[in-house]
Amino acid sequence: MSAAEERGGIGKFFVVYVCMLATTAIELVIAYRHPSGAQLLVSMLLLAFIGALLGVLVFMRLAAEKHSLIVAFAVFTLFVLATINYGWTDSFRLLFGVPFAK
Amino acid sequence: MSHSEVALGGHHTPAMEPSPFAIPAKKLAMWLFIISDIMTFAACLVAYGFLRNATPNWPRPFQSSTIASVMVMTFILITSSFTMVLAVRAARAGDRAAGFRWTMITLAGGILFALLHIREWFGMIDQGVTLFKNPWGTGLFGGAYFSVTGLELLHVIAALIVFIIVGFGYKRGRYTSDDIENCGLFWQFINIVWMFVVPLVYLMNVAS
Repeated sequence: MSAAEERGGIGKFFVVYVCMLATTAIELVIAYRHPSGAQLLVSMLLLAFIGALLGVLVFMRLAAEKHSLIVAFAVFTLFVLATINYGWTDSFRLLFGVPFAK
Repeated sequence: MSHSEVALGGHHTPAMEPSPFAIPAKKLAMWLFIISDIMTFAACLVAYGFLRNATPNWPRPFQSSTIASVMVMTFILITSSFTMVLAVRAARAGDRAAGFRWTMITLAGGILFALLHIREWFGMIDQGVTLFKNPWGTGLFGGAYFSVTGLELLHVIAALIVFIIVGFGYKRGRYTSDDIENCGLFWQFINIVWMFVVPLVYLMNVAS
């Protein structure tokens, strides 16, 4: 990004700032409504993911980088984040005793 | 022709490959560090979720006062992320004074966040939470809580030290706008991680 572009407005960044605050506020409201555990977790993670995506693309300026960097970042990160969830199955086994349930 | 000249193709210019992503090497290194750090935090958060899910009597100790404090901390951190964006913009525009000023404002926000975080920890310790036991339920809670929030706090403190070194170095002309931008990347990353820590560690455990 050139120095001339840097002197432009900060409107886009301010909107993202407000959105990040808003997602946190919505998370707070949802938490105090006490929905079921799974529903609460999904809502929270979805809102956190929206805030994080905005942060990465705009505040970290990934959206302004070369396409190949975005692809490399997304592939490596999302692959590991997806595969790390393999551990949840064992978590449920511990909770319910499966496959050793009586 | 010497070996070095052969290696350089017979010219006196350095043999350099173009940057693979058209960004400076330091910035690429920072992105790679961030990707690896994402794995670290993801492992910690998934381990926390694993224990939380598999433990029926998981404590839910966070009262409204704690949540209010966490919300204030979140507001400070997100605001400091915004001020860091302004620091990077000013630095990239060549405005050294403004770049330094916004970096120091971000530093102040970070210090406030760290102090509130430490206060939060002392509050939990006063209630009897240690790494291995607590008054409410499974002893795993303390270890998981202090691990996840401790890793975040460690990153914040590291970033604050870097802000002081790079910020003042930038003011004196030792560092460039690229260095401020790398600081900014790291700080934004810390903010993003916190956006997952708050719901998973605090809001999911709001006392009913």
